[in-house]
Amino acid sequence: MADSDEPRDGKPRRRELNPRRGGALLIGRLKDHGRANYQFRSSEDPSYYVRLLTSRGERTLWGKDLERAIREGETQPKSGDLVGARRIGREAVTVTTRQRDSEGRVTAQQEHHAHRTRWVLEKVTFFAERARMARRLRDEQADVRNSVRAHPELKSTFLSVRAAEEFAARRIADPRDRERFLELVKGAMAGSIQKGEPLPSVPLRQERRKPDVAKAPRDVKREDPTR
Amino acid sequence: MSATDAAAIENILADPGASQWLKAALESAVARDPVDALNDALVLAGTLEDRLRTVLGLTESA
Repeated sequence: MADSDEPRDGKPRRRELNPRRGGALLIGRLKDHGRANYQFRSSEDPSYYVRLLTSRGERTLWGKDLERAIREGETQPKSGDLVGARRIGREAVTVTTRQRDSEGRVTAQQEHHAHRTRWVLEKVTFFAERARMARRLRDEQADVRNSVRAHPELKSTFLSVRAAEEFAARRIADPRDRERFLELVKGAMAGSIQKGEPLPSVPLRQERRKPDVAKAPRDVKREDPTR
Repeated sequence: MSATDAAAIENILADPGASQWLKAALESAVARDPVDALNDALVLAGTLEDRLRTVLGLTESA
């Protein structure tokens, strides 16, 4: 299966280094990466690999989303950089399984639904910064203004929290339920930030509605612009 | 030690981009029993990774 990301070398690993469990952060030096058939076997489907040199030896991660994660990474990690890789979620995809004859010709194929792992792969300092930001958000005593000054990119996150507070004030009557709800929201946001997921984007101002041209009264004295 | 291994070590020792710490560690390691040296290097790597996680605040569960 081309989208299974874990190496199948059977070597024991430290629990905290296995990114399959709870999205743990795998740290290592980025050796190389690129498109290849899964496990470098010609009979397997195209996939994407990332080779990391970790403190436990070389690890090869597999997954089509790794290509996007590197291409769209905020820190643009390059070979030789110390990076962190973490699974942040799964998305539903349709996978085509092909059966081939001895000469490699496809004799049958079948589509089935599967999940593709989403990755974040950045220079390791990115995760340190995100961990700091998550702590800021979790810290209820933190002054929002100071936090936003220190981390302007958190502005939209704090606005999301403010929106959740307003929602809770309007819709949740029991103060304990309100508090629990807000704790859950903050916890979920802090968790996402720490994992390295994209920060929430909240439009600061509603876009002004464009006038409905069809219904707007036409100025008959002015000519339409030439197109 | 094969010629390739020796060349790799020489390359690191001659590399102006490699740190003095690495060069000193490598020089002292090649004088030791290779099994012991690699075992210690793996312990060192694991310990330094743990330290990095602590210093960078990456030990919290997400």
